[in-house]
Parts: sequence; structure tokens; C-alpha cells
Amino acid sequence: MSWSWLIILLATYPWLFAADLLSDWTAPWGFNVFVSGAAIVLPCSRLRRWQAVLFSGCVGFLFEARRPIPDGILALALVAVAIFLTSNKSLLRSTPRLLRASLIVNLVAATLWFSAVALTLGQLSFRNLGDFLPQLLLQLIASALVTLILFWPLSLSQIAALDHMNAPLANETP
Amino acid sequence: MDKNRQGAKASYVAFFVFVAIWILSPSFVRMGTREAFVEFQAPALHLVAKGRDLARFWELKSKSAEELAAASRDLARINAALELKVRTLEDIRQENIRLRELARYAAPREFLTIVARVASRDSSSWWHRIILRKGRSDGVRPGCPVVFSDRVIGKVSIVHLNTCEVDLVTSPNFRCTAYLEGDEQGRIVLVSGLPANSLGTARAKIAVIPMDYLPSAGQSPKVVTTGMGGVFPAGLIIGTLDANIRTTQDGNFKEGTLQPSRNLFSLQEVSVLVPIHPAAGEILLEKRYEDFQ
Repeated sequence: MSWSWLIILLATYPWLFAADLLSDWTAPWGFNVFVSGAAIVLPCSRLRRWQAVLFSGCVGFLFEARRPIPDGILALALVAVAIFLTSNKSLLRSTPRLLRASLIVNLVAATLWFSAVALTLGQLSFRNLGDFLPQLLLQLIASALVTLILFWPLSLSQIAALDHMNAPLANETP
Repeated sequence: MDKNRQGAKASYVAFFVFVAIWILSPSFVRMGTREAFVEFQAPALHLVAKGRDLARFWELKSKSAEELAAASRDLARINAALELKVRTLEDIRQENIRLRELARYAAPREFLTIVARVASRDSSSWWHRIILRKGRSDGVRPGCPVVFSDRVIGKVSIVHLNTCEVDLVTSPNFRCTAYLEGDEQGRIVLVSGLPANSLGTARAKIAVIPMDYLPSAGQSPKVVTTGMGGVFPAGLIIGTLDANIRTTQDGNFKEGTLQPSRNLFSLQEVSVLVPIHPAAGEILLEKRYEDFQ
């Protein structure tokens, strides 16, 4: 089905929006609730490659749109991850593997946008590493916790949407 | 399997070509993409913010008649006092206009006030922002100051059709000039937002404090806008200067930390001050936006 990527995007959007609402709540503590990286993993196991690429790009742009992140950094990173995951679907065949992949992708993506903004502001240098690394670590801990909490409900809603569209289960060929 | 590998290789090549095109593409392509995704999310943001307002409305509606009567009585008293103040200020305004005409003094910028509800807050170590439910269609322009009463909240950074993004005073992108309370000579200091430690309080830095400036003991001096630079009107309170003022490495000046005048993330409503006559920089920005359109 050609429009599977859009339907799965619409099914995922409420979770991305919920993460934004949680970011509103955690704003006084300087945390951003980031779940976009984890949101692309399960669809990558069942969508075709081009569909996964479109879906991941849109998820990345949705996060970037309202934040001062350099244009396209997160979206392009998620697209690269989507190409890798759809080319290695065996990595996503069981639930523990999916959870592990979600954690890794979310942490890598969080590191990327966090560092990209720091670089733009001139805060990423050897002199500032002492300040930068603890902040990055805190953001990564928050992102990992959010992934662990939201993985099950997010996966269930995405599986329901994919099943509804009769998307095939993960196999070797994309 | 080979087909899969070939497909993966082709995808990576296509990806790198796309990255190159993206980097080389003109800025309006990137701005257009960003704008499209912002507008896609705007209805959901409005819906949630209006839902919050509705919840607040029903919360207030559940108050007893006695409570409402007491609140309205208090408001009537405040209104009476304010009316008296408005009349006094009107006399002063007329006299001010007359004196300015006599002295041929350039009139300060006049602002149109747009009251806006806060739709969402967003923060990380590198930015502190709020999103307002007023945008281009309501006359908000980039660079407009955002205040609450006589307190500076921040500056509009990006304007969308029905929403706008505000960089708060503590955001690293925020800059403005200020006077320190108690400095008789009225020397200018520079206020700029600081990247905040997560779990810590967001603050801003006050730089170029004169070496001979000494705040009164036991008091946190107010930091007020200068009115220079054409963004903020003069005399608005940005915050207070913390007690620990230190000398800079070169030893020429001192610097300190600014404590914002309000908890910036608890605001529900703010005012955007839109200059009636746009500054030269704003005209250029608008022209650039029209070119983009």
C-alpha cells in the first residue's frame, strides 16, 4: 500500500505530540522529552525502504520544526538510520531486539541534535567539554527513560495500524 | 540477499546525493520545509491550548457567587484607583508632547499591544522558548518585545501564520542593553542569555559592569532596559542582579548573573509590543519574507 507511510505517520503523531506536551511540563527543568528516534524503529521493520525513509524524514522534521536545530540534521540522520534498519531487518525480528534498537536509535539521535545545537551556539569545544558532557548525559538519561516508558504503548498503536494495513512482518528483503 | 544489498547501496548513494542537494539548496527551500511542518502541527497546538482555557473557564465557573462578588468588588476598587492614575498620566503625556515639540526631540517608538496566550513551553540546555497563540495574521513581527506588565519576558524570534516563537530572557540567543539600579552615572551593561544546566535554574549573564559599581548591601539591584537599540521601551524590568559579582579575567569589568523577574515557564498570558512604525531592520526582514513568499 503506497500510503502506508502516511497512515503510520498519522498513527504515530499523537505520541510525538504527547511528548511535546510532556516537554511543556518538563520545561522548567530544562529537559526535552524526545521520542522521535524510538518512533521510527518498529515501522522500519515492516514498511518498504522508501516508505520507511519518507516516514523517518517526516518524524525528524516534525521534531525540528519548532526548535532551533540546524535544518535537516535530525531528519537526515533518521533517514540514514531508516535505510540501515530496512537493509538489516533481521536486527528487528523480536521484541527485545526492537526495544534495544529503539533505545540505541533514540540515544544516537538525541546526541546528534543536542551536539548540533551546541555547535551552532559555539558551546561545543574542548574548553567547554566539562559543561557539555554532563548536560548531554542528563538529556540522554531522560531520553532513555522516555523510550522505556513509551515503547510499549507506542509499539502497540503502530502494530495496530500496520496490521490494519496488512503490512508484512519483518523479513530479509526490504 | 544480493538484491537487498544492491538496494541498500543504491539507497545510501541516493541519500548522500540528497544530503548534498539539501546543503546546496537555497534557504527558502529549507524555510519552506520548516514552515510546512510547523503549520501541520499548529491545529493540534491550538486545540490543546483552547482545551486548557476551557478547563480553566469551568474551574472558575464552579466558584461560588460569594467568591465572585468579592473578586468583582476588589476589581472595582482597583479600577477606580487606576482611572485616577490614567487621568494624571494623561496630563503628564500632554505636557511631555508639548515639551518634545518645543525641544524638537525625536519621539520614542510607539507600540501596539497584542495580548497573547501561551500555547506551549519548550526548553533544553540550549534554548528556552514559549510559543504564543498569535502570529503573522495578528500583526506580530519578528524581533517584537514580549512583556508581562512592566517585566521583560523575551523577544519574538520566529513568526508563523497563527503562532510565534519567543526566545526568553534566559535563552542563549537573547541580547539587550540595560541599566543597573543604583548606578548614578547610568552606565550601560549587556544582558545575554546563558546555556542552562539541566535541573538547574535558567539564568542570564550581565556583562560590562563597571569596576566601581557597588550594589547596596542586602539588596538585589533591579536591571532595567535602556530603550536603546530600538527593541525594548526604556524602563522595563528585566530582573535582578545576583549578589555574587565577579571580576572578568582581563580585570577591566565585572560580570554577574541575572535572576529573571518572573518564573518564565509559569506564564499563561503575555503582551507582544508591536512597533507602530517598523524599524529599518524590520522593513528589510519583511522584504526578505515577501521575496520568500
